[in-house]
Amino acid sequence: MTPDRIERETLIAAPVERVWELVTAPEHVGTWFGDAGAEIDLRPGGAMALRWEEHGTVRARVERVEAPRVFAYRWASRMEAEPEEGASTLVEFFLEPDARGTLLRVVESGFAALDVPADEQERKAKGNGDGWDHELRDLAEYARSEVAARP
Amino acid sequence: MTAAPAPEVFAALADPTRWRVLTLLAERGDGTATTLAGELPVSRPAVIKHLAVLDRAGLVESRRRGREVRFTVRPERLDAAARDLADLAAAWDARLAAIKRMAEEG
Repeated sequence: MTPDRIERETLIAAPVERVWELVTAPEHVGTWFGDAGAEIDLRPGGAMALRWEEHGTVRARVERVEAPRVFAYRWASRMEAEPEEGASTLVEFFLEPDARGTLLRVVESGFAALDVPADEQERKAKGNGDGWDHELRDLAEYARSEVAARP
Repeated sequence: MTAAPAPEVFAALADPTRWRVLTLLAERGDGTATTLAGELPVSRPAVIKHLAVLDRAGLVESRRRGREVRFTVRPERLDAAARDLADLAAAWDARLAAIKRMAEEG
């Protein structure tokens, strides 16, 4: 129960193989992720580069390749930097065949471990972080109302 | 491109005890290390440590009143963290929508 992950999904009316290609092939990734191309060495440990005309390059490292179901990589939290521990977040794509096509789910996690001392990294990232923005906003709202209500 | 949210805020929030400390402060309006330790299964020194982490992340502020230090929640930092997460989620929604469009067209 920590605000350490984002989880989103969409149902796509296309076979899982087609979605896999869009999620992993550099010529496709370079259009929906970034706008100036991508390079992907599609194997665990392989190097990735995601390019933006305006912003530059983000480097990543492939973590999992289980065609056509799981693709994961760690991408650097800063432009032009290496995707090292403490300076990267993990992105995981899960593709589930569905009677209507493919359920594509993406999970990005590891925000709590970015660039902070080791003793601060004792996080227990259990549970679903989706909706955390609401959770945080509710707490902020609550704190405001309590402060306002005090004599 | 979306920048990652403020890491010290998320690191501070990622600990269940600190989350409880923050929630208690929000519920009660304010609190001291002593009152918080009375409501949590941790010692007063442990609460003080957690409050220091929350303070460094800008999530609480303290005011000395006589002999005690009272802590309150700073909602603006929570709002900023909420916005960061919502922006990141929106960026992924846009990417997934682009993949869906490409998959269903081709």
